[in-house]
Amino acid sequence: MTAAAESATVAGDAVALHIRDVGMRFGGLWALSGVSFDVPRGAVLGLIGPNGSGKTTLMNVVSGVYRPTTGEVVYGGRRIADVPTHAVCHLGIARTFQVVKPFANLTVRENVAVGAMYGRYGAKRSTRASFERAQELLEGVGLARVAERPASDLTIPDRKRLEVAKALALDPDVLLLDEVMAGLNASEVDEALELLRAVHARGVTLIVVEHLMKAIVSISTSIVVLAEGKKIAEGAPADVLSSPHVIEAYLGSRWAKRQQSLTAIERERLAAERLRADDAR
Amino acid sequence: MRHVRARPFDKLRVTLGGITGNPVAFACVLVAMALLLFVPLGHNGYLEIVFRNILMYAAMAYGWNLIGGYTGYVSFGNVTFFGVGAYCAGVLSAHGVQNLLAYVLVAMVVNAAFAALVGLPVLRLRGHYFGIATLGIGLAVADIVENLDALGASSGIHLEQADEAHFSIYYYAMWLVALGAMLATFFIARSKLGYAFVAIRENEDAAAVLGIAATRYKIIAWAISAMMTGAAGAVFAPANGFIDPSITFAIDSNVFPIAMTILGGIGTAAGPFIGAVLLAGANEVLQNAFVNSHTLFFGSMIVLIVLLLPRGLVWVFGLRGGARTWLKTLTAFRA
Repeated sequence: MTAAAESATVAGDAVALHIRDVGMRFGGLWALSGVSFDVPRGAVLGLIGPNGSGKTTLMNVVSGVYRPTTGEVVYGGRRIADVPTHAVCHLGIARTFQVVKPFANLTVRENVAVGAMYGRYGAKRSTRASFERAQELLEGVGLARVAERPASDLTIPDRKRLEVAKALALDPDVLLLDEVMAGLNASEVDEALELLRAVHARGVTLIVVEHLMKAIVSISTSIVVLAEGKKIAEGAPADVLSSPHVIEAYLGSRWAKRQQSLTAIERERLAAERLRADDAR
Repeated sequence: MRHVRARPFDKLRVTLGGITGNPVAFACVLVAMALLLFVPLGHNGYLEIVFRNILMYAAMAYGWNLIGGYTGYVSFGNVTFFGVGAYCAGVLSAHGVQNLLAYVLVAMVVNAAFAALVGLPVLRLRGHYFGIATLGIGLAVADIVENLDALGASSGIHLEQADEAHFSIYYYAMWLVALGAMLATFFIARSKLGYAFVAIRENEDAAAVLGIAATRYKIIAWAISAMMTGAAGAVFAPANGFIDPSITFAIDSNVFPIAMTILGGIGTAAGPFIGAVLLAGANEVLQNAFVNSHTLFFGSMIVLIVLLLPRGLVWVFGLRGGARTWLKTLTAFRA
């Protein structure tokens, strides 16, 4: 057993995932190098960074699709790299794909039922029970109305919902969400956030890759920032997003200015409230 | 926002009837199977052979449908299983075993083992590479048989046959093999196993992430496919009375089941039978009507069906709205 695996056993339930010195090389390019962080159990970890910074690669390493060139990901005392891809979900890790992969010729309900049949508790479920579970999940994500339609008919937001429902059908403890909000409009983003909060409230640890800062800030308990395959920051959302380093590498100076002016508006609003409170007295 | 984009053939796709295909089509197929039970009562030796061949091709088409239609691995080597099944019967017969049931059971066991063994390396290949590899297996096995004296080499094996009064036993046996393949397909498709096959066909990577051990299920699909095909071969051998490599590993036996499945409706429980009846039947009729030019008509017919019914004949059962919907749908497929 490796050192990290041992520490996972010792640490018990506090940490869901240990990511240790993970590096991933494609040909001459290191898509990831020396990335280390822990994901606490019950956290909502926001994973952000510019395009090509290695977020999806890291997702692929954590979900066992890629075997890292260096380092390891340890979950529940086991190295993910030692587990075949199809067995990763049986450990309790599920993911969605940024480029959605529905089973186009199956109905929406069948798509989710396949997850319920072969996921973590699939062995205990009959076909009928899997379909019932699928229906529950579809109601949860708001797809019950199209349950009988072929998955190829779904709109983009609905395909994202389907991805989430399929991942949830695996009964995960840790759910990796790769840009499930990309391409959604403002009200759809709010719905998606509500859904994620509900999932999180059931005790599922979330790792959320997203470009939409508003969404990330509102849901994350902590944030990790990647740039050019390296971790450049980690911590509470407010601290990370105000770090000059992160602003320079990812958010840009315009974002920083907007935040400052927002803070100014906020100060004025507070002052006004205070005045009103004084008046009332 | 909640609006679901409607395309002209949406309705048709849904009425394809999900994973087993249109239920009306399947019911019609079962009725046709029941009627086929009466064929030997006509005491017409020629017709009996024609319909026995239809049933044989149906069983082989169901076999191909399971790996090619449901699992999405287009095999060009299924004739190998037919040949191996026929040779199981031949070898048993040469050793004094004259039991049809024994032929079929041994052929199924041997074929399942053979498919699993060959599948382990071959089913790791995807797409065209898998097709080419399976084609190679078929050719290799035929060559091996042709050079093995124990299997009669190129001069083949004569099998002892039932006497004339009991000759219909081969017809009924083939009927049972076809029915078994058909019902197995129907129930497998509705089971967890069937959903694993289809998930692999639709997207193997996504299937793996949902917990499906793709290699294992592909091997299961191919083994069942081999059992169906091999059972047909094991009945064919004694029914024909003689087997040699050119009969049992014939290119026809390789291509026909594929064409039948595609014409009837790929990935459905009714399609292979419908395709087998139509193609084998038409082939027979055309052969009698145009002794020299029947292949021309036969080929043209296949081209026409593929053009006009891109999703197979089963699809006709799901058509609602008549000729107009059908025309619109065709345009949609062209687009």
